[in-house]
Amino acid sequence: MDILYVSHLTKKFGEFQALSDISFSLKKGEILGVLGPNGAGKTTTMQMLLGVLKPTSGQVVYFGKDLSKHKEEITEKINFSSTYISLPRRLTVAENLYFISHLYSIKNRKERIQKIKKMFRLDEIWKSQVFSLSAGQSTRLNLAKAWINFPEVLLLDEPTASLDPEIADYIRKFLLEQRDKFNISVIITSHNMAEIEEICDRVIFINHGKIIAEGTPYSLAKTLKTSRIRLLIKDGLKRTIEMCKQQHLRFVLKHRHIVINLQQHEIPNFLKQLLGKGIIYEEISIDKPRLEDYFLKVAKK
Amino acid sequence: MKFSRVYAIILRYFYLLIHSLDRLSDLFYWPTVDLLLWGLTSTFFKKNAPNVPMIMLMIISGLILWMILWRGQYEITVNLLEELWDQNLVNVFVSPIRLSEWMVSFLFIGILKAAISISCAVFLALLLYKINIFRFGFYFLPLLFSLIMSGWWIGFIVAGLILRFGRKIQTFAWSVAYLFAPFSAVYYPVSILPNWAQKISSLLPMSYVFENMREIISTGRFNLHSFLISLALNILYLGLALVFFKRSFEKALDNGLGNLAY
Repeated sequence: MDILYVSHLTKKFGEFQALSDISFSLKKGEILGVLGPNGAGKTTTMQMLLGVLKPTSGQVVYFGKDLSKHKEEITEKINFSSTYISLPRRLTVAENLYFISHLYSIKNRKERIQKIKKMFRLDEIWKSQVFSLSAGQSTRLNLAKAWINFPEVLLLDEPTASLDPEIADYIRKFLLEQRDKFNISVIITSHNMAEIEEICDRVIFINHGKIIAEGTPYSLAKTLKTSRIRLLIKDGLKRTIEMCKQQHLRFVLKHRHIVINLQQHEIPNFLKQLLGKGIIYEEISIDKPRLEDYFLKVAKK
Repeated sequence: MKFSRVYAIILRYFYLLIHSLDRLSDLFYWPTVDLLLWGLTSTFFKKNAPNVPMIMLMIISGLILWMILWRGQYEITVNLLEELWDQNLVNVFVSPIRLSEWMVSFLFIGILKAAISISCAVFLALLLYKINIFRFGFYFLPLLFSLIMSGWWIGFIVAGLILRFGRKIQTFAWSVAYLFAPFSAVYYPVSILPNWAQKISSLLPMSYVFENMREIISTGRFNLHSFLISLALNILYLGLALVFFKRSFEKALDNGLGNLAY
């Protein structure tokens, strides 16, 4: 069941076409990654999904209802967090969560806030003013704010940017756990491709305001045929280089390590040729194409 | 309209108030300084112009009544700016709050803070100069209501302009009300203004209020006709200001609330 349906969304700022006729959907319990280089249109999309930017044309439908006509009802069930949008800086963490809980008319307010405090490990900074928080603490507060109304749909703009690896890992696990427990749907933007691969069921790539690819992280990466083979050559480095040059293969050399770009089906034959030429290697690893490779490829277009 | 959302915004600004020396000084420091300055000035006038009846009461009352208008407009414009400075406008409007609830909360905050500032000023006037602006009964109350309405429409016009042009015109938040002061005849009668200025003055509800205030002080009589003119003008201007503010908000949505902070 589609919990969110975006239809032919277009945004023009004067003559500049920021977003051009994009359509996609989000299923209940799905985590969807929105990827793209800077300026591709991700933030514009997010802002329109939140109702803080009016589309030039197109429609955003949550729970079968048009956002432009049922904003109050819809926003009670969704929430948002961005690393780049701050909460009132002179208020303490507790004060921010209290006033926001009133904005969402939360029932059992005290209980909910105590739960959020525990979930996002806010005890130590509970009475600190927002301006005194580190970037990571601030991100945790923003995430806590996004959870305050127990949303059915969460929109997260780079939620783990500026978090230390331990907390970032905690947040990713937490996100997956919450999805599994409560079947919440999430739209997430991130520049961390490993993170997207880890948590997203599906991704859409936006570039120049258009969706240029859509699929699971695995299926998109799989469209790339080139793998990287890494070898630590014990004997026959010159012969290996010569062989690569003869076959017009791209390679990078660092001391005795060589990384060669090869089509996946060519790998067995290439290794056989190395043996045939008496080249001895001590270590070998083969990197299959990943989402990051796919991102780099499409971002160049 | 949901009261909890209006209360949320009031709470947000209450928390801000207790953490901000600048906000606290707005509430108490400036009213006190103004009262000391104008109180001493009018004491000097009283001594040197003993023929002008009740000059001190007129100046102090004008000062206190002007605070009402100023507070009404200030709370709307500076609170909007506060959201822009904090980049919090998106957080507010991704929540279920309606524009009308947000606006109403600013009106409430204006009334609450005006009540605090005025109480402080009235108390000081009584303490320092033995002047009680309510000595004429509660004739002043309708005037206070009319003046806070004037503050609101000025506030919504300035807030609308900020929504359209962003923070580059933020100085309007502090300065625009004072543009109206000379034509509002806060401390002097409208008749001393040049003709062209009197015409402008006749279009401003505040001028009727301050004329009325002087009439009450000198004759003890409340001029209902002049009050009704001020009320009608205020209702008209407030209506127009609300339409302008709402349209400005729609315009801001066209450009994106997230882009407004800059």
